[in-house]
Amino acid sequence: MHNILLILVLGVCNFVLSQNKQILYDFSEIPQSLMVNPGTEADFQWYSGVPMLSGTSFQAGSSGISVNDLFANDGLDINDKFRDRVINGMSPKDDLSGNYQIELINAGYRGKNTDNFYSFGIYNEGDAIGYWFQDYALLGYEGNADKLNKRFDLGDLKTRGEILNVFHFGVSKKIDNKLTLGLRGKLYSGILDFTSTKNKGYFVTNEGQNNVLANTINADMELRSSGFVVFDAVNKKGGSTGDIIKRGFFGGDLGLGLDFGFTYHLNEQTVVTASILDLGFIYHSTDVLNYALKGSATVEGVEIILPDAINNGDTDFWQDLIDEVEELVPFEENNKNYITFRPTKLYGSLRYNFGEKIESKGSLDCNCNVSGGNSYRAKYANSIGGQLYVINRPRGPQAALSAFYLRRLGNVMAIKAAYTIDKYSFTNLGVGLSMQVGPVNLYFMADNLLAYQNVAASNYASFQLGINIISWGKK
Amino acid sequence: MKKIGLFCVLFALMLIGHSCIEEQDFGQYDDLSVIPKFESSIIYIEATEEVINLAPNTTFYSQEFDFNPFSESVFADRVVDGVITYELENTTSKDLDIKLEFLDESGVILDTEIFSPIYKAPSAVLKREVVYGNTGESLDIIINTSKIRVTANNLSDNSSVSTQPEPLIVLKSSGKFSVRVK
Repeated sequence: MHNILLILVLGVCNFVLSQNKQILYDFSEIPQSLMVNPGTEADFQWYSGVPMLSGTSFQAGSSGISVNDLFANDGLDINDKFRDRVINGMSPKDDLSGNYQIELINAGYRGKNTDNFYSFGIYNEGDAIGYWFQDYALLGYEGNADKLNKRFDLGDLKTRGEILNVFHFGVSKKIDNKLTLGLRGKLYSGILDFTSTKNKGYFVTNEGQNNVLANTINADMELRSSGFVVFDAVNKKGGSTGDIIKRGFFGGDLGLGLDFGFTYHLNEQTVVTASILDLGFIYHSTDVLNYALKGSATVEGVEIILPDAINNGDTDFWQDLIDEVEELVPFEENNKNYITFRPTKLYGSLRYNFGEKIESKGSLDCNCNVSGGNSYRAKYANSIGGQLYVINRPRGPQAALSAFYLRRLGNVMAIKAAYTIDKYSFTNLGVGLSMQVGPVNLYFMADNLLAYQNVAASNYASFQLGINIISWGKK
Repeated sequence: MKKIGLFCVLFALMLIGHSCIEEQDFGQYDDLSVIPKFESSIIYIEATEEVINLAPNTTFYSQEFDFNPFSESVFADRVVDGVITYELENTTSKDLDIKLEFLDESGVILDTEIFSPIYKAPSAVLKREVVYGNTGESLDIIINTSKIRVTANNLSDNSSVSTQPEPLIVLKSSGKFSVRVK
């Protein structure tokens, strides 16, 4: 049982990730690229994702340790590995996080004004991050003995997570031959949320004023949550799974968000793009349960001061001490509503297209001759470029930088390879493949392929896949 | 260029197809040992010379009180060993003795720590360390302690006067215990 628990914990720790969809970004053959930049140039007449199968993505990574770091059969003492690689090897900036998205519905169509392309759908998303709680681990591993005046930082507890459904509607509008703008509105329906990101305080042992030692706790901590009450009820057979589903369809917490994006052709072959996603919030007002620990107390053991103690002969010194600490540092529960801001993401890219031009597939005549009016929007066989990704996290922005090469094989297949550097990996090579078989579009992407040499040593893993039906209209 | 594209696909498929995992030994978890050491003050007793003078040649303070931190399961089930350190400083003009008795829930005396005599000022600070576990005293004393009885006796008269500005008898104590977390 212990082993199973450990594997689960380390599994979670090992799979930490950053939500970066660097391969999907600006991969305009795939309709889902509109989800990471609503200003992507879509040349479809319409598309429809296969419900539940149109888009599944999973990402996980760890900037700290991997399973292999601890459990490799390398003859080293586990205690040495644990001390060196976990306790002394990680810092509070190391994080453990994960993200998944499953599209329930995704479709798009071109408007009567063919400059406008609309897309909409619903997806379910889960996202969580936990930073390494270093001082808590140090206190639990070594204790406070012989650490006089060492302040154990209670702010090292920093974590958040959520599960929600997102209902979205977006429009991508061709402004002129050079510029496409995109906007997507989102309604968030929160199912589950927990957040504890603004903790402050410390625990310290000093020389006592009266007694030998003084233990002081100074805490300003809070864990806010919503939805767990429902999950708890289902676990205890007191509720139905329908209650959980209801929360995902406007029966729980609600929020609003926006995505913006654009694609701009600097010249016939050079393109710059950018997008900002999930600029929004969720108001948690249902099934809220918060815990708080706030106050300051110093303890120097049971104190018997005479003559006061003689005058109060029946004093319960120990219980009085407990009561005093609980009064000074109360642990409280409340049901106050709260707001969380979504982890906002920013993408940007610079792409250079070259090689032969690819003939337009549909009725939207791009008039791709070099001298033609729409020559800016011509697709080329090759693209090369760089991308930037930034996500807002509890300890500040996290960035990733990618270099990519995209190869189109006619209108049938496109392949994108990317090298990405971020806090999780310096050797992240990923490949994405989009295949068009008649109206059926299949795509698959995977990251950090070199890690497949030894999955246990991987600090990052991600994949995305999906199936769509696409029409470009009649020629 | 087509060859490059095909190569990319084949490369990816090859990597995925040949994904593997080096041998892991999760049994190592059983060998992981986590035994932090915690320390804190335990009891502080302070009495003025005026209080001591109330009872010449006899007991000036005796009190039994609940003391549960050692018997709490979170500690009692996990403690490995430890040491309690006592420090006594007497700046009064009296010779004294102090007795600490460790009692279980039903009042049975598990152990007694006697400090006697504690000489009047000027005298050195008396320090004593009592080790529990391993080759020291039995850990059962600690983990079964639910009450402590303090008895303090004045071994002198009630007429002497200390030359110190604030004459006191002070007993300080702290504990340092190793606790097995894993």
